[in-house]
Amino acid sequence: MDNLYIAPTPSTPEVDFKFDAHTLSLRGESYPENAAAFYGGIIGQLKDYLARLDGGNIEVSIALAYFNSSSTKMLFNLIEVLNTAVEAGNQVTLHWYHDEEDDTILEFGQELSEDFPAITFSSHSVRPT
Amino acid sequence: MLSPLIAEKYGSFFNLARQHQVIFYYVGYFSQPIIAAMAEAVKLQLEVADVAGPTRRKLFSCFVEMAQNIIHYSAVSLTPQKQDNNELRHGSVCIRRESDGSFLLLCANPVEQDVANDLRSKLEALRVMTLDEIKQAYRQTLRDEAPLGSKGAGIGLLTVARDAREPLEFDFDVVDRVGQTPVFYLKAAI
Repeated sequence: MDNLYIAPTPSTPEVDFKFDAHTLSLRGESYPENAAAFYGGIIGQLKDYLARLDGGNIEVSIALAYFNSSSTKMLFNLIEVLNTAVEAGNQVTLHWYHDEEDDTILEFGQELSEDFPAITFSSHSVRPT
Repeated sequence: MLSPLIAEKYGSFFNLARQHQVIFYYVGYFSQPIIAAMAEAVKLQLEVADVAGPTRRKLFSCFVEMAQNIIHYSAVSLTPQKQDNNELRHGSVCIRRESDGSFLLLCANPVEQDVANDLRSKLEALRVMTLDEIKQAYRQTLRDEAPLGSKGAGIGLLTVARDAREPLEFDFDVVDRVGQTPVFYLKAAI
């Protein structure tokens, strides 16, 4: 299937899902007006990709400097979908980037790792530029 | 042309804003591109004012949640009430600095009576919760299905309550005509 690339805007992240290379990346800031509309299509394509995958090794990077409440909900749903893929026999490594001063994003990452222990979780602290 | 009358006639408005240490104020229609532009202005303003990183993040987060609540729930709208994207709705937001250096975020917008009732019960419940209880409710809401009629995820107010350093305060102005929509005010101390 085709890769998925969505260029960043001030309030939506760069989405770079290279399905052929099994690397999925979200980068930037996320506060769209309608997060369900923005992430709905992305999660849909992710599900299509995962449905055809067996024994895959997926690398996911999430480097978001800020995300609003409705994006948080959608990220949770997206990680849940990845967790289901692990249960179906794939491997998922999640690289979770947070600004070293941002406890909210750090804690949300920790919660995700507790909720979805099947995903190999790797937390990275980033210095503000 | 030099006109000293401008300062005399209208200077009081600007002076009042300075006295109240208003660092950002907007009244008008809210759309997503307008919010994104305001977010840039607020970010820059807070950076220049040398506000500590964690406070800046909390202010920015509350600002976005408040502004997006206006887009989603203000009763004064240029777009149809059923539209759920590319909306234009009316309200105001203000960020001011307190004399002790902390910040206040205020927003105001008209809401339909049923929205007002819903906000009142949600905010009254939030006001008596501890920070741990707020975080617990936040975690639970994240895992639940989004409530019917919510355009966010039902966690916008929880996010503001989590980031504020005091319980949120709110008010509705008195409605003196039948059919008039009350104005909802929300205040968060950061």
